[in-house]
Amino acid sequence: MSVPAADILTTPVPAGPESEAAGRASRGWLRSAEITIPGAVLAALLFFCFIWPLVYPVPKPIGGSLLTTNLPLWSPGHILGTDTVGDDVMSRILYGGRVSFEVAAAVQVIGLVIGGLFGMLAAYRGGWLEAVLMRILDVFIAFPSLVLVLAISDSLGPSETHVIWALSAFSIPAFGRVARAATLRLRDQPFVVAARLSGSRAWRIQLLHLVPNMLPQLLTFSLLGAGITIILEGALDFLGYGIPPPGPSWGNMIAAGQSFMSVYPRFVLVPSIFLLVSVLCLNLLGDGLRARWGVR
Amino acid sequence: MRPHAYPRRNVRLSALRVSSVIIATVVAVILAGCGASKSPASPATSGPKHGGSLTVLEGSGYAGNWPGLDPATDTDGAANQSYMDAIFGELFQLEAGGKTVGDLATGYSFANGGKTVNITLRHGVKFSDGTPFNAAAVVYNWKRDLAATCTCKPVFLSPPTITMTGPYSVSLTLSYVDAPFINALQGNVFNWIASPTAIKKLGAKAFALKPVGAGPFTVVSDTPDSELVLAKNPAYWQNGLPYLHNLTFKSVAGDQQALTAMEAGSGQAYEGMSTPQLVSAFKAKFQTTAEPSTSPYDIQLNTKIAPFNNKLAREAIYYATDAALLDKGLFQDTYPPGESFTAPAGLFYQHTVTGYIGYDLAKAKALVKQLGGLSFSLGTINVPTAISLNEAVQTEWQAAGMKVNLSDFDLTGLIGAFTQGKWQAMLQTAGAYDPGTGVGVAFRFASTSPFSGVHDPKLDGLLNAAAATINSATRKTDYAAVAAYIAQNAYGPFLFPIASYNIAVKGVGGPGLTTPIPVTDVNPEVLWQYVYNSG
Amino acid sequence: MNASVTVQPARWPGGARARRLASSPALRLSGRRLLSAIPVLWGVTFLTFLTLNALPGDAASALLGINATPAEIRAFSIKLHLNEPLWVRYGHWLGGVVHGNLGSSLASPQTVASVLEQRLPVTLELVAYALVITFVVSIPLAVLCAHRPRGLTDRLCMVLSMCGISIAPYVLGLLLVLFFAVDIPIFPAIGYQSIGAGIAGNLKDLTLPAIVVALPLAAFYTRFLRADLLEQMQSEDYIVTARAKGLGPWRVLTQHALRNSFIGLLTVIGLNLATLIGSTVIVEQIFSLPGIGYELLQAISNRDVPVVEGIVLVFGAVVVLANLATDLLYGVLDPRIRHVRSRS
Repeated sequence: MSVPAADILTTPVPAGPESEAAGRASRGWLRSAEITIPGAVLAALLFFCFIWPLVYPVPKPIGGSLLTTNLPLWSPGHILGTDTVGDDVMSRILYGGRVSFEVAAAVQVIGLVIGGLFGMLAAYRGGWLEAVLMRILDVFIAFPSLVLVLAISDSLGPSETHVIWALSAFSIPAFGRVARAATLRLRDQPFVVAARLSGSRAWRIQLLHLVPNMLPQLLTFSLLGAGITIILEGALDFLGYGIPPPGPSWGNMIAAGQSFMSVYPRFVLVPSIFLLVSVLCLNLLGDGLRARWGVR
Repeated sequence: MRPHAYPRRNVRLSALRVSSVIIATVVAVILAGCGASKSPASPATSGPKHGGSLTVLEGSGYAGNWPGLDPATDTDGAANQSYMDAIFGELFQLEAGGKTVGDLATGYSFANGGKTVNITLRHGVKFSDGTPFNAAAVVYNWKRDLAATCTCKPVFLSPPTITMTGPYSVSLTLSYVDAPFINALQGNVFNWIASPTAIKKLGAKAFALKPVGAGPFTVVSDTPDSELVLAKNPAYWQNGLPYLHNLTFKSVAGDQQALTAMEAGSGQAYEGMSTPQLVSAFKAKFQTTAEPSTSPYDIQLNTKIAPFNNKLAREAIYYATDAALLDKGLFQDTYPPGESFTAPAGLFYQHTVTGYIGYDLAKAKALVKQLGGLSFSLGTINVPTAISLNEAVQTEWQAAGMKVNLSDFDLTGLIGAFTQGKWQAMLQTAGAYDPGTGVGVAFRFASTSPFSGVHDPKLDGLLNAAAATINSATRKTDYAAVAAYIAQNAYGPFLFPIASYNIAVKGVGGPGLTTPIPVTDVNPEVLWQYVYNSG
Repeated sequence: MNASVTVQPARWPGGARARRLASSPALRLSGRRLLSAIPVLWGVTFLTFLTLNALPGDAASALLGINATPAEIRAFSIKLHLNEPLWVRYGHWLGGVVHGNLGSSLASPQTVASVLEQRLPVTLELVAYALVITFVVSIPLAVLCAHRPRGLTDRLCMVLSMCGISIAPYVLGLLLVLFFAVDIPIFPAIGYQSIGAGIAGNLKDLTLPAIVVALPLAAFYTRFLRADLLEQMQSEDYIVTARAKGLGPWRVLTQHALRNSFIGLLTVIGLNLATLIGSTVIVEQIFSLPGIGYELLQAISNRDVPVVEGIVLVFGAVVVLANLATDLLYGVLDPRIRHVRSRS
């Protein structure tokens, strides 16, 4: 939540001189490197989290033996050691990663579909609809979403689905604003005006003209938003409202590990490193794509 | 002329960007590796020293939160006993070895077959506002406590008659014998007597923020749930005491935070450290005193609903629970498993119970098969130790073929889960210094308690009998009968009593802080009037 | 009388000065904004009320503790008016607010106003301190980077700021405590000293928490400001003019480009304020600061509705006021806007 949340990212960040480099051949491969390397790392993480446990007999993330608790890193059979109840840390990282990525993806999709749709419709129509929707969005932005998130997690009980809905309270208004700003900018472009004048239906215009042009911006925004969501999910776990133990998630591994950080710092550091790498890759990828596509 | 180094700088960009990950990793590893390398403090001079200050850390969620310091409305009751004792003193206090001794009271006696308790009070004591401490004040307080809507007041089966039998003697009469009464005073609001004059002058709300008592310290400032600053009471009845001039209580989020705070010098003492993995870290730098618990962990089973209304299911739980392995894996064999609600540090301890079902995985599997499967949820309070224990228990039970869902609750949620009655199994603690008091046996096993899973009139009868006689020997056999009955009906297995630790920097000392005193509730009391800081 | 006569077409109460004030666009803008803020604030508090009352468990069981019997819980609920329907309770509270009374905390003997009074300054000071650190770090850094784009400083800056955005604040807080409070005992690990008790101690206590809050912010603002400055340096006409006039690059950057970049920066800060206050929750918990964020957490867990409502109201008001202030400052910094009706 201390991370510049969705609000900031809605303001168009000037792309900077790098966008001009996109044309230059001598930096073509460099541009690729900034996208391909984080992209590759991210793809590797996703592979290990989702596919690897299906093909390789990774130990189970819960139900570890009490006779092998607190094994250190690089132990035979447990590459990252075991935790205080004997569960294999590597496997908890992989399954926890699944949760983090699933939550991040779901929250972005919900925000994109609901928030993006509303923002686009409101800005296109204009008038009272836009005013009302914007006021509603303002309420959500002024509202300490923390209360909403905690209340939802508290009342519905902790589970992955509830965390997703709770975090969507952040993403829906954010996407709404981005979509609205983009629509406002595109609405008066010559090609849209031409389409309107030629009598096209509103929904056709939106689908065929607005959406494809908004997509790059929305996509880069979702990559950045995904990184923030992963951190927020961890924050929820840290406060005790997220995925319930023993089900692993990076956030609740950090939250549990911080109870004895002085003695076993690795229980905090290992998930933190994976968290950092994932978010860093998402940010780098989003930034790189944004520069490549000249998105404002 | 130097050749243009353009391409190389571009490579640097990507390499730098990607290696930012490595930098972050290295930095993080260094930071963490540098932890816990402070050298221990130099050994302090021995013996108490007058003067000095002490900052005591309290874990939030227990003693680190206080809803108000007025005994009549102190809903946290025993959790706050540390600073309530410091402000109000106690009528009776528990000392090392489990001896009950008078502090502001001088003695007690049972009369009328045990139905009346007579208490004699100390002469010449004054509240810190100068008004006299006497029987009238005690009677005023007790009546006020009973009239308040607070669940912290003592529970009596029929309204007691409280009378002043002299300027310094009070009597309380019931229609039945309440043997644990004096023991029950520990950590109970009846033990803390407030100045009636101050209550009337300030009004209840202001009094709860800045109370007036006859204890060793007075309140200087109170920021609820954050910091409570106390200073030596110049009018304290014991000459030359307390040793400390300033005593401050500060709230911290938990044990790890207390460790870093003490290492950084932000506090000199911490009560109720319960994370077993941190014991070695605390022991390396501070005086670490184990305060043995008097309430063992147990698994409560709800016999009112499925599946544990079936005795076979309950027996399967007993057979599937390997308490010794839990002790070994989680606590390095520190806490010997027991078979009842009594603990070595409390009264009426018994190690083995006749008819107690022990660990036998084969029999557990067979029973689960016979039942056609066993699926239920296991809950507990959201404290790290309890959660770890729950996970380990779940693993053991799943080895027997059961399907177990885990959940954990904060205190509000826990109360809600119990009162709604849909819980199936709960990891809790049962027992107390005197099993007849507070979070004792009745709390977990009587049919009248909302936090019990058992509704058995015969057991109620046995529990009442055990509290109805003032003869210790009889009470011991009575509680043995209770434990045997519970084992016979497989109402719930017991694990082990875990010690919590009181921590102090070198140079600090005092009863309850650096010497063990039996625990009456969760944290042991500390006799702050004798605590010193000579460092 | 003066040669230049001002024509006053109609009489205005208070005279010419009042008329000028009333027609000032800044005042009109503020007035409009404040008016539109009221439904927003109402919406926020109503939403909070609805959410909190959907929670299972209520203040009565939370406050009475584990020894409470269902009968006692019922009696206490009646005493706290918790048995009345939602609308009645909300109406009660709203009526109180309109009269300036925020009610009493259910969990402690204090009034909501006194809780706010005690805890809000701590959080506000933390946020202000964090913003100061952010600006002190990000503005010079951004200027340095923009001065020589793609130079070594620039690259390093971008790498570090990327890491700064990507690190989780709770991890940062835990590591900072381990390193700076324990290994190098400069800063205290917990606790808070009020300004009255000594400004030096007060600042020392708040430094580590402020760094935790400031780091991701500074990282973001550095990137934002740098990009904005670069864009201006490359494309804006007045920059070309200034350069042509012979002004050195530093002067151009700091006296011209920077001033214009402030506009964008301000809007971004205003938008961020709500989440900034929310972010203090974790920081206050880690460092045991008696602030509003930590109080919010505890109040939600205690179902202490009046306190939560009070905090939410204050948050909402701060956000609205901050946005208003940035809009006004916007007008001050950019004269083009002062004289144009802005679309809200």
